[in-house]
Amino acid sequence: MADSTEELEPLFDYSRVQPLNIVCLDDDEDASTRRAFPSKRRKISESVVVDDTEENPKVIQIVDCEEKEELDWLAPPPKVSTNAQKMLGEDSTIKKLRLKKQELMSFAQSAEDVLRAVEESAKRELGNSMKSSLEAVDEQSSKRSCERAKIVISVQDKNGLKHFRMYMNDNFERLFKMYADKVKLDIQNLVFRFDGDKISPTATPDGLGMEDDDIIEVHVKSS
Amino acid sequence: MSGGIARGRLAEERKSWRKNHPHGFVAKPETGPDGSVNMMVWQCIVPGKPGTDWEDGYFPLTINFSEDYPSKPPKCRFPQGFFHPNVYPSGTVCLSILNEDSGWRPAITVKQILVGIQDLLDQPNPADPAQTEGYQLFIQEPTEYKKRVRQQAKQYPPPV
Repeated sequence: MADSTEELEPLFDYSRVQPLNIVCLDDDEDASTRRAFPSKRRKISESVVVDDTEENPKVIQIVDCEEKEELDWLAPPPKVSTNAQKMLGEDSTIKKLRLKKQELMSFAQSAEDVLRAVEESAKRELGNSMKSSLEAVDEQSSKRSCERAKIVISVQDKNGLKHFRMYMNDNFERLFKMYADKVKLDIQNLVFRFDGDKISPTATPDGLGMEDDDIIEVHVKSS
Repeated sequence: MSGGIARGRLAEERKSWRKNHPHGFVAKPETGPDGSVNMMVWQCIVPGKPGTDWEDGYFPLTINFSEDYPSKPPKCRFPQGFFHPNVYPSGTVCLSILNEDSGWRPAITVKQILVGIQDLLDQPNPADPAQTEGYQLFIQEPTEYKKRVRQQAKQYPPPV
């Protein structure tokens, strides 16, 4: 047996290399984009030249942005844009316009940063409150019922599945009663099992480590 | 390291089992006395099929997965001395889909294994006997065989 497992070892070594292969595939893609890039750059510079003649700095900057977004891992082609700016610099109104635009852009940027910071802090606070609520489930969840975690549980009998929604930290008593009413059977004759173990009516989904769509099996006692 | 594949697959098997499995069956990884979970050994229950002599029996089955799972099939075991023509005296189940050289495919799920074993209970394969007692009674004394099967089902009542 030991020998046979040793023989198999290379097989798994090979499969362990697979993720590396995936990385290689990525490399291939990169290479292809790299190969495709020179033509792209040429196109862009061409468009910049056209823009120059039209004296439209906005379009130039949009082109710049796109370039950076798409290919920021490559050295940006600064020469073209600086040349363009130099040429355009002659026109003072355009200069002013550009300055204003930069100003506005920086405002927008800073506004975005602020927004992002606010969002992040909000998220962090939320996360913290979630954590603390998990730590003190009983206190918090009873105070704010909207924060109590819910779970969908499938109750399986010989005829199929029925789905019930309940709170993670609520005991099963109510669910058992609801089920018994639904199938019109005496609750005394029903046994509910999770993973083969009988569930006490005082147990909770949380306590049993249950997840959404976990199955509770119902067995009817044969008397 | 290769066990990562087995463990990953078993975690998936367990996940899908929790959401969907046939009624009366149990399949869960072994839990040690300290609460630690051993994914490589599963404690299962195969219920006898209703309408057969195996009905109302809840037969405990242990599945042992090797590090080579799922390239190699797991080993399925009933308690030692289990009465069935295709169960070895050790309790190991002899079934084509559990045989590396015949029916096993890595795509076979735990659910399919357990349902396959439930089918085998009432439909023994006389071409592949694994114990003498069960085999001989099955071939030569069908009434006695039936009686023994019913007796055994009573030995494994539904878990309380």
